Amino acid sequence: MSSRFERFALYLTVPAGLLVILLYALPILQVLALSVTEGSGALANYERLFTSRAVARVVQTTLVVSISTTLITMVIAYVIAFGMIHMDHRQRKLALLMVSIPFWVSVLVRAFAWITILRSQGVLNSGLMSIGAITEPIQLVYNRVGVTIGMVHYMVPFAVLLLYANLTDIDRRVVQAARSLGARPMTVFLRVWLPMSVPGIAVTTIFILVFSLGFLITPALLGGGRTLMIAEYISVQISNTGRWDLATALSAALLIAVGMLLALVFRSPAMRAAFGGSSK
Amino acid sequence: MTNHFAKDSAEILLQKFRAGQVDRRGFLTALAALGLGVALRPGTAHAADNEVVLCNWGGVAVDAFQQAFGGPFTAKTGMKLVIDGAGPAIGAVRTMVDSGNVTWDVMDNGLIDAQVLSAGNYVEPIDYGIVDKNKIPNFSQEFGVGNYAFANVLFHNKKTTGVEKLTDWKDFFDFDKIPGKRTMCKWIQGQLETILVADGVAPDQLYPLDVDRAFAKLQPHLDKIIFWEGGAQSQQLFRDGEVVMGNIWHTRAKLLIQENPDYAITWNQNTLLISAWSVPKGNPAGKKVFEFINSALDPEPQITLLRLMGNGPTNPAAEAMMTDEDRVFNPTSPANTTGQILIDPTWYAANEADVQNKFLDLIAT
Repeated sequence: MSSRFERFALYLTVPAGLLVILLYALPILQVLALSVTEGSGALANYERLFTSRAVARVVQTTLVVSISTTLITMVIAYVIAFGMIHMDHRQRKLALLMVSIPFWVSVLVRAFAWITILRSQGVLNSGLMSIGAITEPIQLVYNRVGVTIGMVHYMVPFAVLLLYANLTDIDRRVVQAARSLGARPMTVFLRVWLPMSVPGIAVTTIFILVFSLGFLITPALLGGGRTLMIAEYISVQISNTGRWDLATALSAALLIAVGMLLALVFRSPAMRAAFGGSSK
Repeated sequence: MTNHFAKDSAEILLQKFRAGQVDRRGFLTALAALGLGVALRPGTAHAADNEVVLCNWGGVAVDAFQQAFGGPFTAKTGMKLVIDGAGPAIGAVRTMVDSGNVTWDVMDNGLIDAQVLSAGNYVEPIDYGIVDKNKIPNFSQEFGVGNYAFANVLFHNKKTTGVEKLTDWKDFFDFDKIPGKRTMCKWIQGQLETILVADGVAPDQLYPLDVDRAFAKLQPHLDKIIFWEGGAQSQQLFRDGEVVMGNIWHTRAKLLIQENPDYAITWNQNTLLISAWSVPKGNPAGKKVFEFINSALDPEPQITLLRLMGNGPTNPAAEAMMTDEDRVFNPTSPANTTGQILIDPTWYAANEADVQNKFLDLIAT
């Protein structure tokens, strides 16, 4: 009975699988193929990734912005998620709603909203100047600061939901045990909550980092043309300069790097446990 | 990179229409004239026997082009114009011709794109037996013929700079005389020229562009320049008071002046780019497409497009048929062509990809 049902359930996933192969895997394979056939061939295309100063700078910018985005996002999201699991039912429902509201607003609209807030005569700067906190406007947008703010804002809801799911799974009896043994709140946090949420933190960090590496619109708008990240660079090479050799090699390299990062992470037992693979 | 401009002029038209500045009846007439064209628009248009398929950058430009070019063409030849707004980006043309399934007859891209595409054998030569060269004496090239013009102009806020009139691009880089942030485009067409003339290169000696000299002139000022990517963004930077001066498209400059008289265009030394009709290799309508192109180069449709989208006519005969109001913001009217720098498509076709990448690298922090 159950095996027949399982088989049936498996068949149900076939259309989705076919769609993924058709619309996702095949185009990616095409990009991979182009990266070895375009221009002056595979070797030259991939060699350029390591010798070009411009590519190195783009990669460096992308890493710096993505890593700082990830770190800031994780701190903010952990605080929110940790707060949420200590709320009562009604408060938590409200908090979940607040966290999901940004999902309804397009990334483009959010970028423009941030410009309105952060620009030199914007809401924040004029507010600070009118209360005398600053005398000159602070440059908060059209640079890396602006890009990072925009990206963190985009990523925090994702991180909160992932961390919240993980934190609710933690067995509260362990916390009670620690308290009954006389641990202060800080000790409980540092020696119970934090170690037990490591798998959740790890999964979320990787998710945010991988997502951040591919940001396109936010850096293009909030960076004022001066924060050039990989996704935008690839897009320029495809549609503007016609350098498909460079674009496809760089996309393939990014894909491989992300794949290796994921493979490395999934080797750790904690991560496998987090995804429920080997915990049985 | 004409594509950036073409898309932007469609956005402008949409805003105008929403704001009720474009004749609603004209707009609806154009929509009705589309007939089946509207219903078929999503997806790829397929050429039937008696029609020509035009690929432009979509949005409201689909309706504007139908009104400007489709109506007169059908009236004259009985053939229908079908518009596909998919955007004839170089990569898209390449993919289509390579696949052997060409569905477009004529494309709205630039003289530069036409040259780039001809190098890879992706476009048909223009048949000047059918297309009358005399209509466009200055921009009739082997693989592309100029369909409209647009300019990058020096633009400033008179109030915040305290300067009533600017002279030329030297003022753009004179941060001592006129402090305040500037904006310029991150796509190099029509930008490098202005840097070089500001550095003292004579406008008639610009090509081949001395890229290193332009970069050296620009570099010390990078922290005072915000780079715009699309027209709407350039307009927003001025509205927000984020910049006091800029190098922006004449269409956006016009909109800014119309909403706030504190702004001014300095037409002196504007850089003029020419968009073009070109024909993909193996187009379905064959030679019939050149009848369309010939009809679309008449002055009347070009003036219609100027009124709808602000794009300047390339047919010199249009000038006499314009009203004074048309001429004010038209980059090809004599009042606006003093010191005008005509962009050389041949230089860009050969060097743009490389120099654009170096430029992005230069301006990145």
